[in-house]
Amino acid sequence: MNTIKYATAGFATVLALAAGGVPSASAEELIIGRSVSTTGMDPGFLREAATLVDNIFDTLILRDQDMQLVPGLAVSWTAIDDTTWEFELREGVTFQNGEPFNAEAVKYTLDRVLDPDANAPTISYIRTVAGAEVVDEFTVRVTTGAPDPLLPTRMSRYPTYIVPPGYVEEVGQEEFARSPVGTGPYAMTDFAPDEHVVMEANADYWRGAPSIDTVTWRVIPEATARIAALLSGEVHLVESVPADLVDLVEGEDGVELVQVANGGLTIYFGLKMDEPPLDDARVRRALSLAVDRAAIAETLLRGFATPKGTQVGPFDFGYLDLAPPEQDLEQARTLLAEAGYPDGFEIRMQGTRRYINGAEVSQAIVQQFGEIGVQVELEVPEWSVYIQQVPAGEQAPIYMLGWGSTQTLDADAAIYAIFRSGEPYSTVSIPEMDALLDESRQVIDPAAREAILHQIQELAAEQVPVITLHQEDSLYARRDNVVFDGRADARIPVYDITLQ
Amino acid sequence: MGQYLLNRSLQSLIVLFGVSAIVFYSLHLTGDPAALMLPPDASREEIDRFRQAMGFDDPILVQHVRYLAGVLQGDLGTSLRFQRPALELVLERLPATALLAVVAMAWSTALGFVFGVVGAVRRDTAVDLIVRVIALSGQAVPVFWLGLLLIIVFALRLGWLPTSGYGDLEHLVLPAITLGAYYMSAVTRLVRANLIEALAQDYVRTARAKGLSAWRIVIRHGLRNALIPVVTVQGMYFAALLGGALITEIIFAWPGIGRLAVQAIQNRDFPLVQAVVLFAAVVFVVANLLVDIAYAILNPRIRLS
Repeated sequence: MNTIKYATAGFATVLALAAGGVPSASAEELIIGRSVSTTGMDPGFLREAATLVDNIFDTLILRDQDMQLVPGLAVSWTAIDDTTWEFELREGVTFQNGEPFNAEAVKYTLDRVLDPDANAPTISYIRTVAGAEVVDEFTVRVTTGAPDPLLPTRMSRYPTYIVPPGYVEEVGQEEFARSPVGTGPYAMTDFAPDEHVVMEANADYWRGAPSIDTVTWRVIPEATARIAALLSGEVHLVESVPADLVDLVEGEDGVELVQVANGGLTIYFGLKMDEPPLDDARVRRALSLAVDRAAIAETLLRGFATPKGTQVGPFDFGYLDLAPPEQDLEQARTLLAEAGYPDGFEIRMQGTRRYINGAEVSQAIVQQFGEIGVQVELEVPEWSVYIQQVPAGEQAPIYMLGWGSTQTLDADAAIYAIFRSGEPYSTVSIPEMDALLDESRQVIDPAAREAILHQIQELAAEQVPVITLHQEDSLYARRDNVVFDGRADARIPVYDITLQ
Repeated sequence: MGQYLLNRSLQSLIVLFGVSAIVFYSLHLTGDPAALMLPPDASREEIDRFRQAMGFDDPILVQHVRYLAGVLQGDLGTSLRFQRPALELVLERLPATALLAVVAMAWSTALGFVFGVVGAVRRDTAVDLIVRVIALSGQAVPVFWLGLLLIIVFALRLGWLPTSGYGDLEHLVLPAITLGAYYMSAVTRLVRANLIEALAQDYVRTARAKGLSAWRIVIRHGLRNALIPVVTVQGMYFAALLGGALITEIIFAWPGIGRLAVQAIQNRDFPLVQAVVLFAAVVFVVANLLVDIAYAILNPRIRLS
């Protein structure tokens, strides 16, 4: 850790001395620096973020820059009844290999993920889908087992990027993941594992040819090296800028920080509420009131996060604007005394470095809990071990986790998995909450559904199933000439990026 | 010699079995990665189904026997994350790792020798002091720090070389310097210390008395004897490097085995972790054997039996 700090300090100093005048991006080529390697690009069997496949494939429904669902490969969609949706498909679209896009392709795309023998890791995203039926060449019906208000959203993200049946059958699944072919704005031309993925513009793209001809996704796992590559002009856009390296970007000519407020995960402390003392709502409320969210966000997180009063994000459907609880030690102590813990108690807690200054945030909270008499034994385990403990129920009674809804921008993704009893990542057990969550998954009418989602958040504010802390921003950095403001759904659609 | 090689090979097999068993059980006894392989909204049933499909719900002994049976047939399993044979992934990254290791070892050995000899011959002079400072700092500076410093100076400030990446000769320079610095220091110190010791031997005094030239004494009588421990150490270092230079590969985005190992561990990609470790163990065992054989060649007093 010290090594890193030294390196960063030295880095900043020498950067200040470094001369300017770096080469700028050519008008046609964009090079993007990523933190993680691509392992495969089969959207149905993806084991990573969909950043790359998003540029190769299209979904039936797209999300525009205002995060609204708009026609994609489908020109329109309607719910025929509670469990049947009909999609009118766009005519004249072809895959990058010339194969025609049609209803068969849609059915094939869904079938291969739903096939139980295929063991698709992404199946949970479309688990409500019972099947697809070809009505005619450009009409397809998707049926769900029970009413599913989220079906259009499900059709706007992986694994429902439409794949070419002929090509997939011809090359097989393993090869398809290495040489993907879609209908999207870019066609993959070179994939060197752990190095780069190169894509060329699809001149025949149905939305019109992209303005950037070539895009190269380079993998630079080390954050300082990634930013150095941006500063030297080797790459033009980088993702995953750590908050403590922002200074390297902000003082420099030719580069700019892109800060997407509420674009990241919402960080919280989960509470195992099946055992004392956390089974008492007064105790949970007291712990929540002991936390000084504003101070943490301002100092430890350097303003790159927003204190939150709900797990749902402001861009999500169903968001209820609840103010984050203000620190109130007096009230917290009273609640503890009422619950029978006038002198507090001892408890174990786990934090993680996975999130922005996660270990420091955990330590600050340990101190704040100490002020109401709660003595915490803090552990900061290694992430890969920790993230295995959580779904297995082996974590500490109080445990740090970040949850996001960027892929669907719907409250359901933000809360269901962590509030519904019995879910792998949930340690919550509130029957009233379960009933509301279940209902929210069956009501089709948006207004009625929104009302239920609001009710859930109000109940959470009162019952404190988790201690919601803050939502992180997502941070990118770009060269001056790259027009990219970041998106709430964490995508990098190169089609929408322009170079000046 | 033949008997010796056979014995050593059998011993090596036991070592490899032991290594693979330790890795296998330490991975599997800390929980299985089924939940990690699925999106966070996967339900318990979906995780269980996936676990079953991957065979993670079988008794651990059954899993181990299955794994060993695979290994004996050259099948190290399929990477959970990449969905490709684990061995293929390791071998695919071997050229990058080997290139970096060879270049780093080559320059560090050559320069280390020069520094070591100069330091020993000019012992306790200003030159020796400089050599010792270089040797000490090379081993004291963290790789992480040195790598970033080189990026700042040579890539950012001077613009002579790329910050990171793989492909051209220019991409190789900074990682090779970073990786080799430590070994250069190690060689310098070893050569210097051993040469000083060798030069104090009786036979060197005899050689001097015979009136041989100073350099001839150093090279023929001193260096040849000082070489043996260096060969051992370099052999082991090289073997370790072929298993992947973790930090250097990460800083310079070098697509080698070290980076693959880090990713595999982070993702708890069991088959891939096992493949990387087994590969590194094989390289180590083989290198060890080669070092011992080289010993016998360099020093006729050593007999392999």
